[in-house]
Amino acid sequence: MQLSERALWCALPLLALGLVAHALTSHPLPMAAGIDWIPALGVSLSFRIDGLSALMLLMITGIGSAVFIYAGGYMHGHPGQRRLYALLSLFMLAMLVAVTADDLFVLFMAWEITSVLSFMLVGFEHERGSSRRAAQQAMLVTGGGGLAMLAGFTTLAMTMGTSSISTIVERLPSTEPTTALTVAMLLVIVGAFTKSAQWPFHFWLPNAMSAPTPVSAYLHSATMVKLGVYLLGRFDPGFGGWPLWSSVLLASGSITAVWGMLLALRERDLKRILAWSTVATLGTLVMLVGLRGEGAAAAVGALLLAHALYKAPLFFVAGNIDHGTGTRIIDELGGLRRAMPWTALIAALAGLSMAGLPMSFGYVAKDVIYEAKGAVDLLGVIKGANTIFGAIAVAVAGVAAVRVFWSAPRAGVTPSNAHEVGPSLLLPPLVLALCGLLLGIAPVYAESLLDAASFAMMPGTDPVHVRLTSLAALDLKHVAASLGVTLGIGALVYRYWDPLHRRLQRPMGRLLRYSSASYYDKLLGNLPRAAAALTRRLQHGALPGYMALCAGAMTLAVVGLMAAGLPSMAMPTFDGRAGPLGACALIVLGALSAALLRERMALMMGVGLVGYGSALLFVASGAPDVALTQFAVETVFVIVIAALLLAFRRARLERVQEPRWRPGSLLLSALFATAMTALLLVAVAVPFDDTLTRWYGENSVPAAHGHNVVNVILVDFRAIDTLVESFVVLLSFLAAAALLERLPQRPAEGATRRVMLDVVAPWLYALILGVAALALLRGHDEPGGGFVGGLLAVTATTLWAVVHGRDAARRRLPLGSPTALAALGVLLTVLAGLPALALGQPFMTHQWVDLGPWPLSTVLLFDLGVLLAVWGALGAYALALIDADIGPRVDEATP
Amino acid sequence: MSLALIVAMWACFAAGLYLALSRDLLRIVVGLALLGSGVNLLLLAAGRVGSAQPAIVAAGQRALGDAANPVPQALMLTAVVIGFALMCYAFVLVVTLLRRTGSEDALALRAAEPPPIEAIKPPLPARDVDIGRTP
Repeated sequence: MQLSERALWCALPLLALGLVAHALTSHPLPMAAGIDWIPALGVSLSFRIDGLSALMLLMITGIGSAVFIYAGGYMHGHPGQRRLYALLSLFMLAMLVAVTADDLFVLFMAWEITSVLSFMLVGFEHERGSSRRAAQQAMLVTGGGGLAMLAGFTTLAMTMGTSSISTIVERLPSTEPTTALTVAMLLVIVGAFTKSAQWPFHFWLPNAMSAPTPVSAYLHSATMVKLGVYLLGRFDPGFGGWPLWSSVLLASGSITAVWGMLLALRERDLKRILAWSTVATLGTLVMLVGLRGEGAAAAVGALLLAHALYKAPLFFVAGNIDHGTGTRIIDELGGLRRAMPWTALIAALAGLSMAGLPMSFGYVAKDVIYEAKGAVDLLGVIKGANTIFGAIAVAVAGVAAVRVFWSAPRAGVTPSNAHEVGPSLLLPPLVLALCGLLLGIAPVYAESLLDAASFAMMPGTDPVHVRLTSLAALDLKHVAASLGVTLGIGALVYRYWDPLHRRLQRPMGRLLRYSSASYYDKLLGNLPRAAAALTRRLQHGALPGYMALCAGAMTLAVVGLMAAGLPSMAMPTFDGRAGPLGACALIVLGALSAALLRERMALMMGVGLVGYGSALLFVASGAPDVALTQFAVETVFVIVIAALLLAFRRARLERVQEPRWRPGSLLLSALFATAMTALLLVAVAVPFDDTLTRWYGENSVPAAHGHNVVNVILVDFRAIDTLVESFVVLLSFLAAAALLERLPQRPAEGATRRVMLDVVAPWLYALILGVAALALLRGHDEPGGGFVGGLLAVTATTLWAVVHGRDAARRRLPLGSPTALAALGVLLTVLAGLPALALGQPFMTHQWVDLGPWPLSTVLLFDLGVLLAVWGALGAYALALIDADIGPRVDEATP
Repeated sequence: MSLALIVAMWACFAAGLYLALSRDLLRIVVGLALLGSGVNLLLLAAGRVGSAQPAIVAAGQRALGDAANPVPQALMLTAVVIGFALMCYAFVLVVTLLRRTGSEDALALRAAEPPPIEAIKPPLPARDVDIGRTP
């Protein structure tokens, strides 16, 4: 990449830094701005810069500038350098939005964008499997936390009635901690913990060290991981008074601090050691946020700044060592100060700050923390945890600064190719380390910033004037007291680093088997296995099983719905009339025989009984039209089944041996039927609203000139439904025709004359068709109609097919083809509706013309169309099925 | 609410589903037909069975007097016709399947399943085949 292009990229964060500095110095805090974004949800693009935001902004842009310049040198010649710069720029933008957002959902969006960009940056060397896995792990953990945080935010916004962070934080102290709010708080904590690598979500951070060093320095030490701490600090004024908040933060923070430092002792890669120490520092930060008292807020700000100022240079040092010697394993490094003097200087300055020795800003920060802890009553455990943290921090600083550059090498020699790196790799960390030195000597420069930051985290109190002890005012005895213990222990740990490492390997190894990292791995591994097992159980490919699942789910749904409300049911009464009683008895007999008898013929008989029984029931219940239709349908249906049974027998198919009693199916069927019956009883318990019935009853004669109300509903009031229905029946046959074409037909039988039937058949045929015509003509005022007529005609056609064969029956149809007949019928139904359009009325408004004694109308045309459609389509089905030929089996190409 | 009607409806639904859960293709279709009949009875009952008079306005009258409810009857008529078309279509499907596979067993319809080499979905255990074919 050309120098000019690098300069352009580096100009971005420098420009941002300049803008931030200008804004902060020329305007008083807090600054707020916003525009309405989604008014319906109450979400607005609002931004607010207060002290905490200002601190974070300076860190993001300042360290960002250093990182960009460093990346120019570090990734020089790398083909993906431009991609890195683009991703880093987008990341910086997302971070800027995240720390200034004043709306929960804007913050969430920026949060998730940083997660995604972190994923892309950690997986930058995507050809390496370890990078991909590390990126996936980071994404899953932080993404999962982000989802939890979203749930928390949504609950918070709904409970507090607004999504503006500043408003919520203002109102929270005076709100009752309800369950909803507590849950929201815990979810937000989870989100912050995943981002800031707190226990138990800490394991992704060291693995994220697969990223290139500039990325590690920027994201995983100075900015992104601090976002969780920022969130906690943002909500601390609101939730601070709630005991659960403090206890969770204190506990988790302390555990993270100790655990992170202990795990640092197990590492040999310099970057991973630094990563674990970052985890531990984040733990300390979280603990400080949870601490009550005035000094705690100042301590958070101080540590945030100090950590950024020493950790980023240390990461840069690790990168320089990698570039200069080709390795980062501390066993292979030693005495590098001669080959890499500048890097050694930077390491020394940064290490000074990390160890918290005087003359560094780290010492100032430690001082503030010490005061904060002293001001509050703390559990001894927590104090101890912090001491351990401080001690091992000293040891880590020693390893990174002293051991690598000064000590004589242990195993192996100083790498022979060790050389110093270029200026663009030295200048940024040097500047940062010098800042730390400057602020350590004269911390007054940082006072106003930390003032504002701590005020943002503890508003309402008097502004805590942060007193930072300058070098001049150091009290030696005070220094000795506060430093003595940590320095002593730290020096010991440093001296015995290798033995400690060896001793800790096994016990920690055993402990780590139960760590959250191993659970993460187990979860990821088991997920595909669980999915496979579920697929095997649910999608087994057995049709009866699928049917049972559907029926079972439906039963459960119905039962569940009713159980939820426990509505009242109507009690059935015993009706002693013979007609319905006999009909229902037939139905029950038919159903049971179809289900339980093993003979195939029983199916036919059972269905027939059910059908005829239903028809008789309809007669007895005052439904003559339906009864006639049912009689005709059942007749044809039974004939079709009989023909099919014959065809099956001829085909010599492989039969199914099934036990008569299938207990599982029996139980499911009984439950299903009971659920449906219960549903009916509930429905009938509701008082009947007869508005529709009365309307039809009153308007049938005046508006539609018909006395048969059922027929009037079908052909006049709901004529378009009937039109569509006839069309559907035709369509279904056309769909079946495609399948039927492939079925051969039985060759025509020889001429065995059955005298009786041959003589009677033509008369019967004519009679049935005559009755059908009669039904059509009188349907409007008396039982009958197009459907009845059509089905009677189908009966006639079926009779002819049984007697003379399919082709003869087909030829006897008008138009010679059932499909054509059906199409004509549908056409007539549509035509019947057109005169209305010609007269300017809505489609299908029937027209009446008085011609002497009998009125003529489009109703007749419509009914005729329905008759023809039903005759044609259902007749076609009947003809096709009666003469179907099933076997012997032909091997067709199966898909 | 007639008890006999309730019992008849229950029998239709139970028998219909019992048959539909069978392994025999023909029984499955017949089961669906029975379920359809059950639904017709459901419609009849939901419309409240009261008077047994057909829903025909008497000659000379202008409004329907005390009669059966015509609205569910219209629905039932449609249901009967479309139900018959549906059953016939189902029979056509069954006949086509029988030509393809030569077996009446629903468990023999495995054309859509992945080949048995898939680790995720092992094939069904062998089903019992009727060795003696009817002459």
